[in-house]
Amino acid sequence: MLGKLIKHELRHSARYTMSIYTAVIVISAVMGLSLLSSATWLGVMSCFALYAAGFIAVIITLVSVIKSFYDTLFGRQGYLTLTLPVKCSNLLISKVIVSFIWILASFALMALTLVMIFFYAKERSSGYFSMMSDAISLSGILELLPSASAVISLLIAAAIWAVITIFAYVSFVYFTVTVANTRALQSHPKILGGLVFLGIFSINNTVGNLLTQYIPLTFNVGSDSVYFAFEQMGRVNDALLSYGVAGTAFSGLFAFGLLWLTGYILEHKVNLK
Amino acid sequence: MSIIHVSSLKKSYGRKLVLDDINFEIAEGSVVGLLGPNGCGKTTLIKILTGLIKDHTGTVRIDNEEPGPYTKGIVAFLPDKSYLPDWMKPKDAIGYFSDFYADFDKEKAEKMVRDFGLDENQRLKTMSKGQQEKLNLILVMCRRAKLYILDEPLGGLDPAARSFVLDLIMNNYAKDSTVLISTHLIGDVERIFNRVLMISGGKLIVNSHVDEIREKGKSVEEVFKEVFSYAW
Repeated sequence: MLGKLIKHELRHSARYTMSIYTAVIVISAVMGLSLLSSATWLGVMSCFALYAAGFIAVIITLVSVIKSFYDTLFGRQGYLTLTLPVKCSNLLISKVIVSFIWILASFALMALTLVMIFFYAKERSSGYFSMMSDAISLSGILELLPSASAVISLLIAAAIWAVITIFAYVSFVYFTVTVANTRALQSHPKILGGLVFLGIFSINNTVGNLLTQYIPLTFNVGSDSVYFAFEQMGRVNDALLSYGVAGTAFSGLFAFGLLWLTGYILEHKVNLK
Repeated sequence: MSIIHVSSLKKSYGRKLVLDDINFEIAEGSVVGLLGPNGCGKTTLIKILTGLIKDHTGTVRIDNEEPGPYTKGIVAFLPDKSYLPDWMKPKDAIGYFSDFYADFDKEKAEKMVRDFGLDENQRLKTMSKGQQEKLNLILVMCRRAKLYILDEPLGGLDPAARSFVLDLIMNNYAKDSTVLISTHLIGDVERIFNRVLMISGGKLIVNSHVDEIREKGKSVEEVFKEVFSYAW
């Protein structure tokens, strides 16, 4: 059943995002074709359009996670979804997985647009285009990476951070939308839901920062390895990237707890209008 | 053998008690009318039976199980509003039901969609309200469910459409199944019921076989008017 839930969830959520993904493909094609032309303005315009489309794709995806969750569970479609012969936990897991896929895809698309603009600008290599390629390569910071293994370590560390961050975002959103649709908050769901979101966001950040400060265990990416160190963030000299383990672990556990609570409220307290 | 067993059921919204000590059983194979004026608690009772509301007191059993994934698999539920997303086409909706309900008859649904003049490739958002209601009803009635729960299936329909909908229900439900229809339009549906439940102010005030009512020389509509005279 979980597979079928994921299939239908993907179909439903694709409605929100496919148009912007299609726009990215069309703009990329225009940008590619502009290489055949000597008109600078066409190249510059398509580069900016592609950058904007990549950015908008991320925003639309993040918003669609909220809208899709609300529509399928608390809008009139909730009468269909919540009477399916499946466990509430499976419903929630399928939604988390699909949201995760879309958010990851949107970040990958954003990165891809930057890579495309970078290589396009390198190809044109004059005036505006030099500035673009410099900006994307972070003024040469990427070139400071000493080895391929460091790049891989950096990517792994970034992936772990991204997984926890996306998971936290999804669970914050799901918890907020669910709580806002209980009878207690249903009178002013947007305002009260906004306050709930701010509240959990603040708890996550405050506790996470305190834990990072007082439990100085850091995960670090060095020039050719990844390692843990009992040092506060910023004090590990040769680290290209480091983050506090305690704060990050708290974010993950907090998100997991909120998701469990969301399942409980969905099962016992939700009131469909 | 009872398909629905409800005892000492109470449900309140805040301080407002909407269902007060409801007790009844419905035997398999019955066609039951759940009658009462708007706001009497019919939809809340249906939400509890379909597992949409869990925070109540008392006991509710569907086929000897608490409402949950198993009972949702044997109950075909038609809410009083269209619940399919606007982007869906009839063929998408049929695929959806076919994926989730083991008792769904896909071929029958496809045939009924064609027979009732619906375009299987037309999006719901471009369909009329009547076409959408027709599709919802087809989907529900193409399940070989043990229990059909239909919430106000006749609401907002003209007399000709009401007759059409009733025929669609009576010609398509599995004959050993139970049908629970909530309505306040008694005249049209009286002929199909063999038991009626009447709810007023959250209390079950009539739970009677239709033959018992007729033996007293009355129709269900007359009893309804007597019971709910205050509401008119």
